[in-house]
Amino acid sequence: MKEMNILYISVFLPLIVGFLMLFLPNKIKSVSRALTFIISVVTFVLGIKIFTGGESDYILPILQLGESLGGLELELMLTVKPLGAFILMFAMGFGLLITLYSLKSVGANTKRINEYYGAILLTIGGTAGILLSDHLLFLLVFWEIVTVSLYILITTGGNKSNFAATKSFAMIGASDAAFMLGVFMIWKLSGTFVISNIDLATNSTLSIIAFLLLMTAAITKAGALPLHTWVPTSGEYAPVSAMALLPAAIDKLLGIYLLVIVVREIFDIQPGALTVVLSIIGSATIVIAVMVAMVQHNLKKLLSYHAISQVGYMILGIATCTPVGIAGGIFHMLNNAIYKCCLFLCGGAVEQASGTAELDKLGGLGNKMSITFTTCLIAALSISGIPPLNGFVSKWMIYQGVIKMGTQQTGGTAGFWPIWLTCAMFGSALTLASFVKLIHSIFLSRLPDKLKDVKEVSPFMTVPMVVLASLCVFFGVFYHVPLKLFIYPALGIEPGSAIFGTWMSGLSTILLIIGIGLGLLIWLFAKLSKNVRIVPTWTCGEVQSNESMRIPGTHFYKTVSRMSGLKQLYSGQEKGYFDPYDQGGKAGLGLTAFLKWLHSGVLPVYLTWVVLGLLIIIFVICKVQ
Amino acid sequence: MTEALQNIFWILVFPGFVFTIVLGLVACWIVRKVSALVQWRVGPPLFQPFYDVMKLMGKETLIPQDGQRAVFIAAPIVGLAGVLLLSTMLWRTTITQNDFVGDIIVAIYLMILPSLALILGSSASASPHASIGTSREMKLVMGYELPLVLAFIIVIIKTGGQLSLAEITKFTPALSISGMLAFLVSLLCIQAKLGFVPFDIAESETEIASGLIMEYSGPLLAVWKMMQAMMLVALPLFLVMVFLGGFGTTAGWPLVWGIGKYVLVLVLIILIKNTNPRVRIDQAMKFFWVYCGIALAIAIILASIGSYYDINWL
Repeated sequence: MKEMNILYISVFLPLIVGFLMLFLPNKIKSVSRALTFIISVVTFVLGIKIFTGGESDYILPILQLGESLGGLELELMLTVKPLGAFILMFAMGFGLLITLYSLKSVGANTKRINEYYGAILLTIGGTAGILLSDHLLFLLVFWEIVTVSLYILITTGGNKSNFAATKSFAMIGASDAAFMLGVFMIWKLSGTFVISNIDLATNSTLSIIAFLLLMTAAITKAGALPLHTWVPTSGEYAPVSAMALLPAAIDKLLGIYLLVIVVREIFDIQPGALTVVLSIIGSATIVIAVMVAMVQHNLKKLLSYHAISQVGYMILGIATCTPVGIAGGIFHMLNNAIYKCCLFLCGGAVEQASGTAELDKLGGLGNKMSITFTTCLIAALSISGIPPLNGFVSKWMIYQGVIKMGTQQTGGTAGFWPIWLTCAMFGSALTLASFVKLIHSIFLSRLPDKLKDVKEVSPFMTVPMVVLASLCVFFGVFYHVPLKLFIYPALGIEPGSAIFGTWMSGLSTILLIIGIGLGLLIWLFAKLSKNVRIVPTWTCGEVQSNESMRIPGTHFYKTVSRMSGLKQLYSGQEKGYFDPYDQGGKAGLGLTAFLKWLHSGVLPVYLTWVVLGLLIIIFVICKVQ
Repeated sequence: MTEALQNIFWILVFPGFVFTIVLGLVACWIVRKVSALVQWRVGPPLFQPFYDVMKLMGKETLIPQDGQRAVFIAAPIVGLAGVLLLSTMLWRTTITQNDFVGDIIVAIYLMILPSLALILGSSASASPHASIGTSREMKLVMGYELPLVLAFIIVIIKTGGQLSLAEITKFTPALSISGMLAFLVSLLCIQAKLGFVPFDIAESETEIASGLIMEYSGPLLAVWKMMQAMMLVALPLFLVMVFLGGFGTTAGWPLVWGIGKYVLVLVLIILIKNTNPRVRIDQAMKFFWVYCGIALAIAIILASIGSYYDINWL
């Protein structure tokens, strides 16, 4: 009985409180802050308890229709499953860290504090609901709650954020409609909404369509191509902490969670045409998004495009259908949530301290904000897959999955693996390039005159960043620990059977430290011989002002964006040619213009339409009989 | 305990720091001597690279006042540690025929560390010349990473999905058309990784006054020189292991063979270095992405056909 209560509380306590908080007057800010913080701590503790408590379930009957009405039974089924439970624990952790960060970061520039915190609680509750429900209809309801709270969170970002919020809501909402349609198709095929009872094969047209619909919902939430465009738009205008919570962390967890459920539990996807579709989406997402990210001038937009690019690795890992690939995909989901969240928080700290997110106005902050710099550097190296950090391990596992798929599976579709592997490994180098630009432009290079008085942000903001950066290091060096604790049990993989490459991360870290020690000895030698002098920058004798010597990283990759072939693609992307939202908007305007043209107000025209319609109806009725 | 001591011996003495640095400085001397012979000069004595490093150790260290000091000092040290790990890993694998530390993917990723260290170090030095060097070095990394990945895929196809370096050395992919193409392109990538002409764009002394390492002096510059010397050992060795079948298992003739292969790769690199002018960065990127990319894409198709129909020479 006690365990049942835990599940119930972790879903409905944040939901109810969050909903009420939306209507609180803004004068009592401190109450909502304290309440949100307390509840996020409580849900995090509950999340740990649920994870350590093992499998259990809780059923609450809600609706029972008689036989005459189809015998529909509706029960709220909350079930703890290994996959959901470990994601739940981390999602609650992210919720807590973001709440802590928000205490100092939100407030100065928004008047809608209570709505912000209410939406955060709604997100936490909705996430718990999604990860615990075993009933597709309730999953859908909680899924919608998270969508709505994303909308509210983005709108708290200020004047221009309404457009971004509408765009996100329209795109995710449309994909949610696809989700709903897919759920009903599954009900038609299997006769049940309970996920653990469904096991479909993709052999009929209807089941393939259902799979594609559910996949669309999952990848839109996670932010993969081609339905990714809501992420950068909202990244520009939404509060950074909201970006760090939803698109960077929780939306990834949820989208990939749904994809895994769909691929492994609802359907039993075998290597074939559908996995090729997934691989194409994955590889294209990796390369295209990172190519766009590379040329961005705005810190938040750059980070948003990377949030998209990394989804590609997860989808690719899942598409390999090999244990090591899927485990790598899930591990990458977790790692990405950690370092991406950290990067957004660092970005927010930089923006708050310096007052701008434009890369060419920043520079040289490494000396002023050393904690932010260190955490940002660790997260940036991690996302670029530099050993021995966590991003490397999960990418390494995904590569193994692709290689294993290519060399061990037979059949025509496996032969494309060189393309997927090239995209994944090359994308990693491009990610590094993009983050070198970011680190150079913000923290290294030279300090602009305007930013002389910048100071490190408050500990409320640095603590979450430090926690996340330490997790990056820990999960990288001791990667067996998270794999054995979380990933393998969640997927039912025998530990030790999946990975076939070699990476002794612990040993190599020790050896690296010894090497660094050796280098430090050389440095100490120089220092002790008192031969160190601090001098101004060598400018070959010319007298230069500080501003004229600043070279921000925004023009680093002009060589790439000016390459013939790529140039046209970049300019098309800039104009929104590849944005389904923009193109959909144009198509919608075209349709309404056509309807306007039809409604000319002339009676005979209307009469003609009526008669035509009547004729068609009569024809159909006669045909049926 | 003994294992820990053994590990420390490996990283510090053989085949780690002492061995690699000595071999690297000798390789440096070979580079300079052969270059001199190509240019009809006498060239330096065998110990010249040692003298250079020792002299730098005794010189003054200048630190730019506007730079990020911690990164400026840490970058060469981390780069050195990265190459040291790579070199130890490759030699240990060659000697014991067992994977040590990591597989081929790990090796490819460790090879990025020295470039990354150079980039961060130069970026931290707050010099406009160095910033240009940073940008060029990063673009160069982007450029050669694509053909390197494609070459890696050819190796994987040729060895039937092996990741272990020890297993890969039992094959000789260079004895086929696709493998040979991959080897030649990788050679050019190594050339760029070493920062040799025609790909010394990031350092180009005459143009941006050694860009990347412009602000470095004294012992820190010596660390960079040592790192480059060690790369001269590790990177050709990687090519020998992956494409040319490695050193073999026992002492005696296989050892001579192995050293012969290493010297062959080194001399090829030196000859390319001495017979080409420096290219611009956009030319280099186009060369790697378009020409090398297309060549290796064809090679991958050939290799796939070869592995499907069991034709080994394709």
